[in-house]
This record gives sequence, structure tokens and C-alpha cells, in this order.
Amino acid sequence: MTSTVDPISLPKRAASNDTEIDREALATLLVEIARNVDPDYRARFEGVPTADPRMETLRQLLVGREISELSRVTHLLDEPEQLAAAVGGVLPSAAARAPHAQLGEALAPAVERAVQRSIQKSPRTLTDILYPVFLPAIRKSIGEKIDQTFQSLNETLRHIFTWHGLKWRFEAWRTGASFSEVVLKHSLVYRVEHVFLINRNSGLLIAHVAADNATSEDPQLISSMLSAIQDFVKDSFNEKEQSGLDTIRFGELRLWSEVGPFATLVAVIRGNPPEELHEIIRDVLLRIHDECSQALEQFDGDSSQLASVETQLQTCVELKQEDSNQGFPWLVVAAVLLVLIPAGGWFFLSWQSGQRWQAYVSRLETQPGIIVAEQKVRDGQFYIAGLRDPLAADPQALLSGTEIDPARVHSQWQFYQSLDPKFVLQRLTASLTPPKSVRLSIVENRIVAEGEAPDTWIDRARAAARQLSAGGPVFDISRVRDVSPEARAAEHWQTYVSRLEAQPGIIVAQQTARGGHFYISGLRDPQAADPQALLSGTGVDPARVHSQWQFYQSLDPKFVLKRLVASLTPPKSVRFMIIEDRIVVVGEAPAAWINRARVASQQLSADGLSLEISELRELTPQELTHLREAIQAIDIFFDSGKAIPGPEQLPVLDKLANQLKELAKEARKAGVTAQFMLTGHSDATGRETANVSISAARAETVRALLKKRGVDPELLLVRGAGTFEPAETENSRTGSSANRRVSVTVNFH
Amino acid sequence: MQKKICMLGGFAVGKTSLVRRFVQSIFSETYLTTVGVKIDKKSVVFPDKTVDLILWDLAGEDDIGSFRVSYVRGASGLVLVVDGTRAATLAVALTLRERAEAEFGAMPFVLLFNKSDLADRWAISDREIDELRQLGWQIYLTSALSGEYVDDAFRQLASMVAK
Repeated sequence: MTSTVDPISLPKRAASNDTEIDREALATLLVEIARNVDPDYRARFEGVPTADPRMETLRQLLVGREISELSRVTHLLDEPEQLAAAVGGVLPSAAARAPHAQLGEALAPAVERAVQRSIQKSPRTLTDILYPVFLPAIRKSIGEKIDQTFQSLNETLRHIFTWHGLKWRFEAWRTGASFSEVVLKHSLVYRVEHVFLINRNSGLLIAHVAADNATSEDPQLISSMLSAIQDFVKDSFNEKEQSGLDTIRFGELRLWSEVGPFATLVAVIRGNPPEELHEIIRDVLLRIHDECSQALEQFDGDSSQLASVETQLQTCVELKQEDSNQGFPWLVVAAVLLVLIPAGGWFFLSWQSGQRWQAYVSRLETQPGIIVAEQKVRDGQFYIAGLRDPLAADPQALLSGTEIDPARVHSQWQFYQSLDPKFVLQRLTASLTPPKSVRLSIVENRIVAEGEAPDTWIDRARAAARQLSAGGPVFDISRVRDVSPEARAAEHWQTYVSRLEAQPGIIVAQQTARGGHFYISGLRDPQAADPQALLSGTGVDPARVHSQWQFYQSLDPKFVLKRLVASLTPPKSVRFMIIEDRIVVVGEAPAAWINRARVASQQLSADGLSLEISELRELTPQELTHLREAIQAIDIFFDSGKAIPGPEQLPVLDKLANQLKELAKEARKAGVTAQFMLTGHSDATGRETANVSISAARAETVRALLKKRGVDPELLLVRGAGTFEPAETENSRTGSSANRRVSVTVNFH
Repeated sequence: MQKKICMLGGFAVGKTSLVRRFVQSIFSETYLTTVGVKIDKKSVVFPDKTVDLILWDLAGEDDIGSFRVSYVRGASGLVLVVDGTRAATLAVALTLRERAEAEFGAMPFVLLFNKSDLADRWAISDREIDELRQLGWQIYLTSALSGEYVDDAFRQLASMVAK
């Protein structure tokens, strides 16, 4: 290395090309470097500048391409956009190749922040992403919660009224737990017998733990078969769900499986497990996944890596709830009963008396006319206050039969008038005293009077109706018929009837009032008062009276006397007296009259009556007597049913008129007054009334005819004797013409 | 160590007979008709380890369409069974293997030509078998009746999957 070539000039020569190094220049440079590096050389070549341009030349020669490459890379790194593009190109494959754990750790904070940011920005996005993940989990969880609730409810209901239930209630009270918790604790007796952890992919058994005394077939086969069955169900029913079969039940035995990302945990449970067990199993599975996630994922049939799992599974197998067979706490129960029985008895009795009281109060409340305003029970005493209508049922009386001690009841009742129709009706009945023909009733809250009543009662009822309180029931009296006219008429009729009955010579046999008409029948003496005439002044309408009187001769001395006076026409000098049923005639009379009186006396004695004429003295002058006898021998005859004498009687009438006028003249001369009684007679055919009428009519006719012929009418008296004074006795029904006559008797006064 | 092995083959090729005599089983054959699968276990003991082959005997059907390929998930190896007296069953076994591998990737397998005892009715030519052997396939002519090569086949498969 002793070349003298000036190294400084060397770099000036350009390299033959970029890729090939100029070997000669390089050699020169290397010598030059050696010289610079060696301190001896340095000493010898003083004045070499620190920034030797030759070094730069050397660098260019040696690493010129690398420098340009480096500057390109540096440039790339300095330009963020270019760098991003470059990194973006390799990032996916870089991430894929990175060791999982390290990458996960490196990314975790960034991812966490990113997620946090995303949630802050819009929770919706993340929710949408996680929705398909959460939904089945939430659904399952809710389902289990509901099952749990139902199970709790079921068991609680099942045991609520049993002896166990009572016992457990006591336990709940003692331990402060809820009753349903205690029920579940006792009723859900179960034991986890086996736990299988099964690889989800291959169905191979990862671990199996069995409880003491629990036996099973080869767990490896079982676990595979279980996953085969899972697949079977999934395939058979086209189930897309990732969860798999979570419960298989076979009698007492249940298989509960929880599916994790890499492994499924299957618990074989005998008995009746609580739903919470699902959660416990799930927790165990979660812990296993947390601890051995990687080993699980890479499981290929060799479970030696997963030995620790067994301890976790062991916690599951230890789960059980055994039926406690503790001795029954008789003493406690006896003590409790000792307290409970009297207390229960007291409660029952007070409850019962309360019930009775309530029954009584509600009975009172349903009573019309009773208003319960206030009632209470205090210290075994009953207090009640309210209003009651005097007509309502007696509250005290209602107590009987209720088994409530009346001494414990304190009532305070104010009286009031109930507007209840029933009570209004009662009050009206009491105040109006309706006649029997009136009926009061309640029709649709109205009080209706029906029937017949006199106007006085109707007036009172109307007044009462007006006085009824407003708002109360209406008193309707429109259906009561006023019967006062009839009543008054009936009253008048009775007055009339009694007046008739008081009349001598009138015997009332029968009388009725029917339909506003009055019917009366009986006997009357022709001499008796005329019943028709008696009607006047009684107020009875004569048109409504229908009488039927049979004539008869009264044997009353007064009537006998009347008849005698009428038939005998005694002169004024004669007086009649009635002395003890005997008729005594005293005074003086013409002889003819005395003879007639004697005949009458004889006739009367046949009827058991006596007419005494022994006291009479004869009076009449002879001439008058002759004339009188001539006159009295004359009869005017009539045809049957006629009141006017036939023409053949006219000469008889003329003759009679002349004789009457002569006698009147002669009598006047003798100082006496001659009076002529024209007595009409009839035959016995026809009705008696008609006969009496026609006889009187005949007498009247004769009187009129005599008056026409100049006889002083003052002297002519008229009477109808009917059939009572016949000229001859009639045997046949044809009647007698001799009896249809008017006879004349002459009296002197 | 356990391995999931699926036994595939057409209808009545003798899969069930093969396992009946040589494996440990707790499930009756009705599982095949009900669930469509029956699980048996064959333990193969090697000097350094024991491999438990968990054999999934899938119900063989002529209709390949009804083959439940999901049962193969997680399997480490296949036992393809062919009825040596019915040539068509070879195609069935191969098709089933193709479907399983299409779904879950390639996996070790042994191919058993069963019913080797029925020599007079044998329908597969030696040449055909040789050709398959040329492909590096492990092929056994087995007889469920005599048990010939059955153990060998399982042992072979166990060593293949346990590597």
C-alpha cells in the first residue's frame, strides 16, 4: 500500500456505471482512509480537513444506492399519507401473523377507547352490532327468570296450605327469609350427579366429574352421544339457534346443558333443581372459558392441558339440596299452639260477633223507614244511631234471634216520617179510616184508592192528598166513585119506610132498594093514609117508587069507627066513642039511622067487634023519614067497568034529583039539614084498587049529574066503597050488575 | 388421548358389524335408526400412549343426499367402508369422503374393503385396489366375520390421527 496517487483527484473520475464500483478509485480511497485512520499517517499528512470530501465520495461509492433507497423510505415515512397507504397495505396480514396474545394486549386499550368513543357518539351503532348477540342471551335469561318465578310460585302454592307449609312459614319467620325461598329450599331436593365438559366441535369429552356413588357408562361415549343428539335435534328441526339443547328430562333425571364458545357443560341432575342452578352452571362454564380459553380452543382430544378444569367442575357436582330430616320441633309447636288457640278463639269470637253485628246492621238498613246514620263497634259494645219512622219495625225487636246481647247495643233513634209509600199508606189509613168499600194500595210508588165512598170521605181524602209532602208518593183518589146521592136516597127511603110503618092501617111486608129504584109491597086499609101522599116531603123521588098495596080492613077500632062513620053518615047529634075496643054511640038520631046502626052493629059483632047503640034516642020527623026511605031505595046502576051510567038510568037520576031537592026543602022546613052520601060500589071482578077507584068515580059521576039537575052540591058527599058493601053476595066470577051501583044514604043534622 | 373418527359407507356395507365385535359399545343399534348415529369406542394402545378412537357410526344410506355431514364436524379421521361384493359402494364411500372433506378439510382415513370372506362374490379387482394404494391410501381387506385386519386398520388410523 505505497501508492502515491493523489487520492483527492480520484473521485473526480466518474465511475464507469452506477452499479459497478470503480475498483481503482476504491483502492485509492481505501489507502487514503488507512492513512487517515492510522495516527501516524495523520501525523504525516497534516492539514487534512476534518470534513474530508473524499469520505463523502467513498460513501457515495459504497452505499450510494442504499442512500437513495433510504431517502425514499425516509421520505415515505415522513409523508403521513404515503405511510398510511403503505401500512394499510400490510396491516391485515401483519395482524394475522402477529402473536395473538401480544396483539390482543396491544390492541385492547385502543379498542376499548374506540368502543367507548363509539358509544359516546352514538350508542345505537354498537347496540345494532351487538343486538344479534344479546338478544338470544337476554331471551334465555328472561325465560329462565320467568321459569324461576313460576317454579317459585308453583311450589309456594303447592305447599301453602300443607303441614309443611305451616312449618316453613315458621321457618321463614324465624330466619327472616321470604316464604317462597324457604319453600324452594325444602321442596327442591336435587343432586348434581355428573358434570361433563364437552368439546363443542368434536363432541369429545374434555373432563368429567361424578358425585360420590354416582355411576354412569363410559363418559367419553356419553359425551359424544350427547353432542350427537344435540346435532340430531338441531338438524331434525332445522334449528339455527347456536345455544343447543338446554334441558333433557327423563323422569327424575335432568340433563341441563350450557353452551359456551368452545365447550358445552352438561350437568346430570337427579331430583327437582331450582332454576337458579342454570346460572350457577353458566358461571362455572364462564370461569372455565376465562381460565383456559386457549386450551379449549385448541383442544384436539388431549385433555392433559385442561386438568385444572376438573376442580371447577367439582364445585358443580357438590351442589345439592337434601331433604332435611330433622326431628320435628314438638315443643315449639306445642308452645305456639298454646298461645295461638286462645288468641285464635278470641279472634274468632270477636270476628263472629262483629259479623253478627254487621248482619244486624245490614238487616236494619234494608228495613223500610229505618235509616242507619252511624254505627260502630268499640270495646265489644255496639253503637248505632239513625232515623226511624214510628211505623217502621222496632229495631229492638229485630235484635231477637240475632244472638247479639241487647245489653251491649246502644241505640239512638230520631223519629221522622218516612216518605216510603208503605208508611204513607199506613198513616193515611190511620187518619182517613176509609169505608169498607174503599181499598188503598201501592201501585208503582203511588198510593191508589179504589172503590166507592160518600163525598164527605172523598173530600177528606182530597184534603189529605194535598197535605202530603212534596217528593213523597202521590195519593190518587180519582178511582173512588162518589156514592153519596144513592146513599142519601137510601137514607130518605128508610125514613119514608119507617114513616109508613108507623102509619096505622098500613103494613109493610117487603121493601128493597135496587139500582136506584125502591120497591115496596104490603097491606093497607082504604081508610089509612095514602102512601103516595106520605111521600111528599121525604125527598124520595116518587117516580122511583114502585108500590104494591093490597087493601084490607083493619080491625083497629079507630078504622072500624072511621068505616062506620063513613058508611053510616051519622047526624050531628050523634057522637062515637072508643072505650076499650068497644065503639059506643051516644046522642039522638032519626029512627032510620038507628036501624042502620043496628044492622052495622050486628055485622061488626060477627067480626068480634062491638058497636053499642043502646045509648041512642030516636029523632027524625015522619014525612022526612018516608021521603028518605024512598030516596035510599034508589040505586043508579052501571055497566061493567064504566063510571058513567047508561042512558036508561037518566030517568032514575032525574027522579032522584027531584026527590033530593024535595027532601032538602022539607028538611030545611023541619029545621034540619039533609045530607046525601053517594056511595059508589063495584063488583068483585078486577083488582081491588081499580074497584075502589071505579066505585069512587061512579059516586063522583052521580054527584056531578045530580048537581047538573039542580041539587045543591054542598049537600052531596061522595065515597067509594069498592066491593066492601055489596048489595048482594057474589058467587060467580062474572060479577054482579046489582053491585055496580051508586047508592044514596040520607043524614039529617 | 381421544379422537373423533367417523365411519362412512353405503347401505349395508358392514360398518356396524365391523365395530360390533371389536369395539367397546354401550349404545344399542337402534340408535342408528332413531338418531342416525351410534357412538362406540375403540382403544388402541401404543407403547407410549393410548388413543381412544371415538367411533361415530353414521347410518349408511344409499341416498347420499340425506347424509348428515354435520356429524363429521370435529372428526380427526375417517373409516371408509366398502362392501367388496358390491362395486358401487366404493363410489359411495368416496363420495361421502369428498363431502366430508369439502366441509371440514382433509383428514386421515383408512379404506376398508369389507366382507373379504365372501371371495366368490368379490367384485373389486386387485388392480383397482392397487391403483388406490398408489395414491398412498391405507387400504385393508377386512372381514367382520373373521376379524381379519380390523384391528390393524384401527391401529393404523390411530397412529395416523395421533401424530
